[in-house]
Amino acid sequence: MNSILKYSIMAVSVGSFLSMMSVFPANAGVSVQCPGDTDGSATWTGSEVQPPNTKCMHLGAGDGFITMADGLSQYIFGFSNLTGLVTRPVFPAPADDVMMAGMLGASFPAPPIVLDEGDEFYLTLTNVGMAVRPDLFDPHTVHYHGFPQAAPIFDGVPDSSISINMGSSLTYYYKINDPGTYMYHCHVEAAEHMQMGMVGNLYVRPAQDGTTKIYGGKTYTRFAYNDGDGSTGYDVDYPIQIGSFDSAFHNASEAVQPLPFALMVDNYPMLNGRGYPDTVNPASLPAPAENGGKVSQKESSLVTADRGQRVLLRISNLNVTRFYTLGSMGISMNVIGKDAKLLRGPDGKNLYYKTNSVTLGGGQSVDAIIDIPADAISGRRYFLYTTNLNYLSNDTEPFGGMMTEIRVN
Amino acid sequence: MHMRVIKTAFQVTVLFAAFLLLLTVNAGAMINGITGTTFNLTAKTGHISTPDGGSYLIWGYANGTGLAQYPGPTLIVNQGALVRVKLTNNLTVAGGGTPPNVSIVFPGQQVTIASADPGVPGILTKEAASGKTVTYQFTATNPGTYTYYSGTDSALQIEMGFMGTIIVRPTKGANFAYNHQDAKFDRETLFLLTEMDPRIHQAVENFGPAGVVGTDYLANYFPVLWFINGRAAPDTMAEPMAPWLPYQPYNCMPMMHPGEKLLMRVVGGGRDLHPFHHHGSHARVIARDGQLLASAPNTGPDLSTEVFTIQSQPGSTIDAIFEWTGKGLGWDIYGTAADGPEFIHTCNDTIVVDGFDDATHEYCADHDKPFPVTLPTNQELAFGGFYSGSPFLGSLNSLPPGQGGLNPNGGYTYMWHSHTEKEMVNYDIFPGGMMTMLLIEAPGVPIN
Repeated sequence: MNSILKYSIMAVSVGSFLSMMSVFPANAGVSVQCPGDTDGSATWTGSEVQPPNTKCMHLGAGDGFITMADGLSQYIFGFSNLTGLVTRPVFPAPADDVMMAGMLGASFPAPPIVLDEGDEFYLTLTNVGMAVRPDLFDPHTVHYHGFPQAAPIFDGVPDSSISINMGSSLTYYYKINDPGTYMYHCHVEAAEHMQMGMVGNLYVRPAQDGTTKIYGGKTYTRFAYNDGDGSTGYDVDYPIQIGSFDSAFHNASEAVQPLPFALMVDNYPMLNGRGYPDTVNPASLPAPAENGGKVSQKESSLVTADRGQRVLLRISNLNVTRFYTLGSMGISMNVIGKDAKLLRGPDGKNLYYKTNSVTLGGGQSVDAIIDIPADAISGRRYFLYTTNLNYLSNDTEPFGGMMTEIRVN
Repeated sequence: MHMRVIKTAFQVTVLFAAFLLLLTVNAGAMINGITGTTFNLTAKTGHISTPDGGSYLIWGYANGTGLAQYPGPTLIVNQGALVRVKLTNNLTVAGGGTPPNVSIVFPGQQVTIASADPGVPGILTKEAASGKTVTYQFTATNPGTYTYYSGTDSALQIEMGFMGTIIVRPTKGANFAYNHQDAKFDRETLFLLTEMDPRIHQAVENFGPAGVVGTDYLANYFPVLWFINGRAAPDTMAEPMAPWLPYQPYNCMPMMHPGEKLLMRVVGGGRDLHPFHHHGSHARVIARDGQLLASAPNTGPDLSTEVFTIQSQPGSTIDAIFEWTGKGLGWDIYGTAADGPEFIHTCNDTIVVDGFDDATHEYCADHDKPFPVTLPTNQELAFGGFYSGSPFLGSLNSLPPGQGGLNPNGGYTYMWHSHTEKEMVNYDIFPGGMMTMLLIEAPGVPIN
């Protein structure tokens, strides 16, 4: 409890300090840029008018805690969702709210970003500082991993452009032209910040959504890509992000020790930031005490569908140590996309393939459609799990780790 | 926070590289290597250096009487050529033991060895005993990217450095990867990816190959160093043939202009898979292991797909074509009049009507669209060494003292690296390892 108290006090004091700092230079500090939004909440409320095809989001970058499936508390760096918090006028109260919400508010994985083709997307990133590591003054970025035709200023690679310091905000702009399954992460000292948890799901829905196409005798209005023939139509979709932590690295970071880059070996394999059986808990996991009671693991990996439905799995991998193979026991996956591209040749030749396993290194993505049999028994469970069988564990606890279930309603 | 330490090294190496590349005519467009039909390779020892200050014994193939190379010389031959590779074993080992036999296998080639050849039979091929020579011969029937490596005690010898790349240029011309219009490129870069477990090199340095016998180093291989073309970042960006890297002659510094096609020849030279993530845009994977991804002989790469991360597999090669124009960003990458009179420019899509400026390849639909956000003030930002101070291509702006400076023409830079981010370190020092930067220079800025 002592350490919890320590963190809370630290959070308050660093928070007040940073929010004080934020009033110094003109236009500096917490500053959300979102067209049509006047109170800096990255949302449109009251008389505010949302311009067409515009989306906004406000993320905090900082630190926090999560709980592993075996009960271990783990210190993380991460992103928090600050969208909806009023940030203007800057002083005194609203920006303070933002800092207090972001402080120790990191979630894992990062808040999902869901976009539509044609969107103009404004993402404001506010660096809320590391409450547990006040010795660090790390800047942060958002790297939209895989966005084609990227420009360095919005690509989030600190070497190539800019990154945001503590107490301030940087707004990223992207015109969203290409549907598919991407991912996002901080690119500052990437081996460290990504191992520490600054990774999340990101996908773009196609312009074909909302049109009606008949495929295989069924009607679909939602699609993975602009396929023209409905072959990527689905009923339900789930982002599944592969990840894994090295608890020794996290512990070293929390204890302000030298970081074992070369010796990094992950011992907590996860899907969407949880090890089995937490993966199949449909709710958020209980908030850890160490971060002052902020819910930090909101993403379930439980897949549920009706019999006869088509399930789109948007699988990505953002671990930093190795390749993982995901197998689907008892039911096959139809791979229809890879790396945010429809799996077709340049002349449109169909290159979809059926498989029971997909192998992804860090930074790769796969779109796979699963057809739930029309005669599946209600309550039937299929398993999606790593066939790197030594990663079916939560550290020393067997039969856990990188596994989830597909349940028939 | 190791970045600052490395920054000066970046600065020196990159500026030096830029200087030397200016002197080399046409070298930037093509991959460094040796050409011809007869190659005299010599197996020797050497020492590579790593940016964290390490020095490691390697066994490398040397070009004739030259120094051992990590990796071996890139052999560039023409399709149809009868290629002879003579390998002489001048390896020496610590501890006074007999040096091991050495050999080369050429995956994808039909190799013949004369029956009278003095080479001694090994498991996979004929080998050269200490002080002796073996000659391999094959006809480079098919164009593409191939590897060559040791066929003797491969787990140890390839780790020690006996590996390299073969490029077979098609009859259609040097600017084609294969004999098809869709395999045309403007520039090409080799990405030979390897990893290293220093325990093995230290054991061999001290005790010869016997040093690894009785250890679990090969079975429980644990790399802590990662390389592109034999160098770890930031040395990847230094110029080729850098005098301070005598055993690591090849660099990896892809450069291009908007609208050009960059051929990526990605070779898995070691024993691990690597997810090679090329920031900036997708690349179209047109071939694997020297085989064009074609459904029939004349279709071209109709089975090719685009990826944002190339899955490089050990012993395997991938050819991919990368392009970048900035199409559809929704703002003018060259700035607008509102940014200052120096940003005024035109977008002329008249001669080849394809949506892009005929000369600069600017995407005309985004021409004159304003930059969409206000950037934070300088004191709120951390700056990268490759940041020009401006979001616009080919433009420079002032930065606080000591910031930026590695990008004198205001190009766009993109990190190209293993997305197993652990491999982006030199031992415990980040950044480094399997990483380099793509530099896209503004139209008109000379490259080479």
